[in-house]
Amino acid sequence: MKRIINHPAPSLREASGPRYWRSLDELASTPAFKDWLEKEFPAGASTLEGSDRRSFLKIMAASFGLAGMGLAGCRQQTRHLLPYSKQTDRVMPGVPVFYTTSLPGAEESVPLIIETHDARPTKVEGNPSYKPTGGSTTVHAQSSILDLYDPDRAQRSSGANGAPLSPAQVMDALTKLGSSYDASGGDGLYFVTDKSTSPTRARVIDKIRNRFPKAVWAEYEAIDQGNPSRAAESYLGKPARPLYNFAQAKRVLALDSDFLHTEPGSLGYARGFAQSRRIQNGTDADPEKMVRLYAVESNFSLTGANADHRLRLATSHIWGLAALLAAEIFSLRNAGSSQQTIDALRQMGAAVKADNVDIAKWVSECAKDLASHSGASAIIAGPQLPVELHQLVLLMNAALGAVGSTVTFSELPEHPAVITLAEVGRAIDAKLIKTLFILNGNPAYNAPGDLNFAAKIKAVPEVFRYGYYGRQADETSTLSSTFIAGLHYLESWGDGLTWDGLHVPVQPMIQPLFEGFGEIDVLALLGGDRDPDAYAYVRDTFMARNPGKSLEEWLAVGVAGKVFATNTASPSMNRVSDLVTAAAKFQVPVVDADHLEVRFIPGITWDGRFANNGWLQECPDPMSKLTWDNAIFISPKLAKEKFPELLPGYTQMSKGPLGGLLSPQTRVNDNNFVTGREIARMGEVTVNGQKVTGPISILPGLANYTIVLPLGYGRKVVGQVGKNVGFDANPIVSSAATVSCSASGATLKLLPDTYRLANVQEHWSMEGRAIIREASVEDYKAHPTFVSEMDVEAESPPIYGKDKGLSPQEKSISQPRGQQLYQTHPNNVPAPNVPVWNSPEGLKDFPTPQQWGMSIDLNTCLGCTACLVACQAENNIPIVGKDQVMRGREMHWIRLDRYFASGPSKDGTYTDTNDLPEDPQVNFQSVACQHCELAPCENVCPFMATLHDDSGLNTMAYNRCVGTKYCADNCPYKVRRFNFFDWNKREVGEFYSGPLGPDYYDSDASQLTRLQKNPDVSIRMRGVMEKCTYCVQRIEAAKINARVKARDSGDTKVPDGVLVPACAQACPTESIVFGDVSDATSAVSIAKSSDRNYAVFGYLDIRPRTTYLAKIRNPNPAMPDYTAQPYSREEYDARYGHKAADKS
Amino acid sequence: MSYVAEDTLPERPAVLAKVKPLATLPRRPLVLHHRDFHWITEKICGIVEKPAPTWWYVCFVVSLGIASFLGVGLLWLVSTGVGVWGLRSPEFWGWDIVNFVWWIGIGHAGTLISAVLCLLRQKWRTAINRASEAMTIFAVMCAGVFPLFHVGRVWFAWWLFPIPNSQSIWPNFRSPLEWDVFAVSTYFTVSVLFWYMGMVPDLGTLRDRAVKTWRKYFYGVLAMGWRGSTRHWRNYEMAYLILAGLSTPLVLSVHTIVSFDFAASLLPGWHTTIFPPYFVAGAIFSGFGMVLTLVLPLRAMYKLHDLITQYHIDCMCKIILATGSMVGYAYAMEFFIAWYSGNIYEGFTFINRAFGQYAWAYWIMISCNVISPQLFWFRKVRENTALVFIIVLFVNVGMWFERFVIIVTSLANDFLPSSWGYFSPSIVDIFTFFGTMGFFSTLFLLFIRFLPMLPIGEIKHVTPPADPHYHPEAAQTGGHS
Repeated sequence: MKRIINHPAPSLREASGPRYWRSLDELASTPAFKDWLEKEFPAGASTLEGSDRRSFLKIMAASFGLAGMGLAGCRQQTRHLLPYSKQTDRVMPGVPVFYTTSLPGAEESVPLIIETHDARPTKVEGNPSYKPTGGSTTVHAQSSILDLYDPDRAQRSSGANGAPLSPAQVMDALTKLGSSYDASGGDGLYFVTDKSTSPTRARVIDKIRNRFPKAVWAEYEAIDQGNPSRAAESYLGKPARPLYNFAQAKRVLALDSDFLHTEPGSLGYARGFAQSRRIQNGTDADPEKMVRLYAVESNFSLTGANADHRLRLATSHIWGLAALLAAEIFSLRNAGSSQQTIDALRQMGAAVKADNVDIAKWVSECAKDLASHSGASAIIAGPQLPVELHQLVLLMNAALGAVGSTVTFSELPEHPAVITLAEVGRAIDAKLIKTLFILNGNPAYNAPGDLNFAAKIKAVPEVFRYGYYGRQADETSTLSSTFIAGLHYLESWGDGLTWDGLHVPVQPMIQPLFEGFGEIDVLALLGGDRDPDAYAYVRDTFMARNPGKSLEEWLAVGVAGKVFATNTASPSMNRVSDLVTAAAKFQVPVVDADHLEVRFIPGITWDGRFANNGWLQECPDPMSKLTWDNAIFISPKLAKEKFPELLPGYTQMSKGPLGGLLSPQTRVNDNNFVTGREIARMGEVTVNGQKVTGPISILPGLANYTIVLPLGYGRKVVGQVGKNVGFDANPIVSSAATVSCSASGATLKLLPDTYRLANVQEHWSMEGRAIIREASVEDYKAHPTFVSEMDVEAESPPIYGKDKGLSPQEKSISQPRGQQLYQTHPNNVPAPNVPVWNSPEGLKDFPTPQQWGMSIDLNTCLGCTACLVACQAENNIPIVGKDQVMRGREMHWIRLDRYFASGPSKDGTYTDTNDLPEDPQVNFQSVACQHCELAPCENVCPFMATLHDDSGLNTMAYNRCVGTKYCADNCPYKVRRFNFFDWNKREVGEFYSGPLGPDYYDSDASQLTRLQKNPDVSIRMRGVMEKCTYCVQRIEAAKINARVKARDSGDTKVPDGVLVPACAQACPTESIVFGDVSDATSAVSIAKSSDRNYAVFGYLDIRPRTTYLAKIRNPNPAMPDYTAQPYSREEYDARYGHKAADKS
Repeated sequence: MSYVAEDTLPERPAVLAKVKPLATLPRRPLVLHHRDFHWITEKICGIVEKPAPTWWYVCFVVSLGIASFLGVGLLWLVSTGVGVWGLRSPEFWGWDIVNFVWWIGIGHAGTLISAVLCLLRQKWRTAINRASEAMTIFAVMCAGVFPLFHVGRVWFAWWLFPIPNSQSIWPNFRSPLEWDVFAVSTYFTVSVLFWYMGMVPDLGTLRDRAVKTWRKYFYGVLAMGWRGSTRHWRNYEMAYLILAGLSTPLVLSVHTIVSFDFAASLLPGWHTTIFPPYFVAGAIFSGFGMVLTLVLPLRAMYKLHDLITQYHIDCMCKIILATGSMVGYAYAMEFFIAWYSGNIYEGFTFINRAFGQYAWAYWIMISCNVISPQLFWFRKVRENTALVFIIVLFVNVGMWFERFVIIVTSLANDFLPSSWGYFSPSIVDIFTFFGTMGFFSTLFLLFIRFLPMLPIGEIKHVTPPADPHYHPEAAQTGGHS
């Protein structure tokens, strides 16, 4: 048999570096030479003439030599490819190894654990040793693993005009750069860096500063979140940041703050918030014990979504509202302010108005509630708000007695002075800059539009750029004269500080995939270190910070040392009057239909840095449910007043008489889903003469005249994934705005074009159905069993028939399961076809299989969507691209349903779904396969491809599935996903070409991306159905581990809590709980024993193993927007519930 | 009445004694103009034996062209993936299953005419049974394309059959799709047998008349040695009756089982007990619609007015009227049940069908299936062939939309509003569907070209001279006995 050996292509280093050749033929690369090479025995070898032993050996030597040359092109260094002659400790082929590391960020590092398979990182998990996050992660942490294997990342450094630079050349260039400025002390040398918490990086930068005292340093983050600490520093005199303890808080007010989702520290905050929101049973329900969240915001953030009272207000009016609130709080708490100051504060907020709510009452009742919970209340403001507002918030928190209990000040390390990007721009204009060194970030793309920074960079004589994406995929890199390829954080050493100050390592998991430099290495080279060793730097930092501590333990546990010291000082109330004077510049601007406000929010791509990440691009925005795009979000009110043609003339539910056949105004341009796709009109936003255009999407819940623009889209120079995604809102961002992330005096104009948005959820209303069941805390207290009195099952016969009295544990074991013709046997006896166990002897050894189940607490689910991305990473779920998402074919195994609910529409009914709610309540529900015990998908599959196993899993046999799709039709939860195309074999965009299109498997990109795949989960081919498996690979691994541990003891049960599916592991609020439902003491059984526990569509008698815990809201009866029941509950009651029954 | 005492009856009106009604009403003849046996043989065999008319060639080429769409569509589908169709979540079934049920429904008339009407001794069936049986077979072939190719991995479709395989797994006998496999394949087999066996005497006639050698062999092989002896006729009649008996339950079972695809699921709008009778009535309705669609042009083209008479058209129109009204009743009943059950999901589904995003499809269905056949109450309409043709076209369209409404609207707006979505077909969906129409007409054109389109023997059997007691003057029954 002939083996075809594909010689590896020459590496970039070979292609670019000096070339060695063995013969002139090789140099000329003649066909004869190639032919000769490829033959197993060269031409002369078989004949005696012309070939003697000597020439044979020569030829062989040449062949070996060339083989060696070829191997040098392999990615990994050959000396690492030796097989284990002795088993390496802790490394077993096929068994993943976990290492600690952390995700570096501008304000905080998130401690992580990385799963590696055969030395390639495949999955990111939170580090459970770090208590504030408890092992949870954000979508960005989860998706960061994909960036490591991004085919578009910079694979080498390059000089001017893109000529490749070898690492040695880069090092030379850096050395030369350093020596050229040694004489002048760095005069004309400017640095623009991103923000970082890394103490090692700070140390190395100090070295550079010492070497070049005249060099100027600037720090730039497009989405700056430093204002809270700036305010704290200004009042405490030392670098500090307010740190909130939401687990202790009972009353919280968020001022345009998204502390549960996009702000630094959000993971820990979300966890703490959920902790004080959690209720087990109706008997524990108490409005006083449960946290109550007030939110004032212009955008509809997840924090607002989880608020009990939400006031929609323009961001530029937040100052006024805060002033009103401060006046109330200071007078309520007698906080040392003179009446005059209080009057001045009241005066500041006098112009704040809201059309549907009495602001004065809202503020005074809110203030009363906060003030009456002294020490258990807190106010948090969004970091985009001005420093003065944060100062006011500090004072209010101090007045509320929050400082020291719910709010503490943690001291930050001293940081040297840096200038802003605007100042760098001015220096360029003044021709002060000779060399600009841009470290990370992407200012050419995301600098405020008025700086015109990209054009300015071009005017700098020499631009050094260190970044992860190269000239082909990054706006700033294209403009550089020397581009230095960066490494992924999983490839290089580093460190960082968590939100509360723990020192966390950034450990590399893999040898650099490409030629690149670590951040520390590059900076150290500039600092004069000829042979930098990042590991040594990190080690030294650790030693210096933590004397006597073990480095190995730090690396193993991933966190060490002390958190930031607490600054016990409290801001003095005397500052109030100064602040009032200083803040006189804050007027409440006119915001109306002609003077719109623009609010910039971070998109899922953050400031654009994740634009080439397919998981993130396809991850639906929690609120708008858009993928692959941003949009100009406007409120329904603005649409009604100014752009009625944007309003849906009809929706899915009502298309006019006779389904629109007779309605003459059938329009294609309106914002609707009649064709199953969101067709959006294009709009043009103008601020101070600057324009951006983008598709308009109406989003309920926005402040009336605030336009919300997500940043981070519309990248021009970007990799394949990020191309043509969304529009760039940066041109209208102003560097001079008092409130960063907001601009006022904008106008919006409709353009004639339309644009298709890939929206994964076409219908916003729950239609009064009891899908998400909720109640106010008072009602829950009065009617603890309300969930069981809703929906059809309240009227239908008991689901378990005569066995209804059994405990849930007994039910899980004794009830029949599965819907196949094959015999199912009770769970506590062995299968009849297992003869070993069916003997009296064997029966003793038969362990009743553990019964898996899940509980999802809707009360603590915030909607952050981390579960979705975690599932995608764990289960090798492909991305399908915008076109296929628009065709309803996204593959996510778990999805986050979002429903808006509002009071009755104008006619007093709930059926006019054309009327988009202006001020809705929102609910989230994560839905994955519910693993029904009597699964409706199972009986309809003719191929017997989906069946039940002994532990209650509804399993999917991919290789038995032929793809009738009947199971998906019959699934009431619509959680099954079908491989309509070979998602893994074909490139996105080439699905329809079939075999005529390029084969992705053969592509270079595939060589890289396949490294991420979880080897424990199969890749599904086209034509088969797939769905959530409860992470069956983890279940099996846990069972094997339990069996290994049990040895002869027979105790093979997987202990509770050991086994966590990917979604539950990522969940910041622990709202997803998984475990053995046949064990009454397991966490999942305890969760399911709550009286809020219910099964969605329980009346179908399909007995899902995933059940939900009803949501409880905690509204304040004194508030003007108080409703006794949540909106969705009111709608249910009016349409289908007891109120409807009473009426009829 | 006979139990009522004489004296309690009112007095018999005197006028009745004067009126002397005819002893029997004359029945309408099944073959007009007293055509004799020879004329019938010449007429039917002539279609096959004479050179094909130009229109046949035109139609054949066009049909073949359209049929190629099917080939291209399926090639694309199999090589690329089911995604080339418009299927999506939540409409995992769309045009594919709509077309399947539509074609299967059409396939119902043939066997109903040949089997059920045979057992019920409806002699008027003879003129149309051959063509409708052929229609049945071809329609079932077209129907089979869709469930076969709508699966993701068609190369494994043979796992549906309970034959040994390497995975040692039986197919799932609880799945309605598995029942479909048996129901449709049985129906197809029996229909082919029935069709072919009924054709054997006529093939014998064609063989005997054949001049060209290839015809002799072609029809000779097909005629299976038919000699027309009494013993042959006796065996033939017996076999025909047995097959009719076997086919009769199949007429009911196939569409009943097809309806189980939906009724056995739990989707609102699918999960209903009314489906089996409703689907069978609908199938007969659409089947007769298609028979008329095919027969009326043939009658005009080949001048078959003496053999396919107005009486035949009348009968079929009346069946369409009856079954159309049944279907209309079923539509109304679904609404009633949805309301009466008190199930909010069920209630929503039906309101949404009529007034939601797919209301246009619903009202097309109602007007085509319920309103248009009501015109057949009027004799003038039934006698206006052009009008009949237009109405049966409406019936065909309406029945396609009925399946569309049932399948797509139920899936599009089911339990979870978050998953709702709108189905629209892709170009490949449309191509494939029209391709099956081309495939069907190609086969049908070949059938009328090479096989006796009308049963010669059976038609002769219902002419008056076939009556042993035939007397030209006394013939009142017109073939009925």
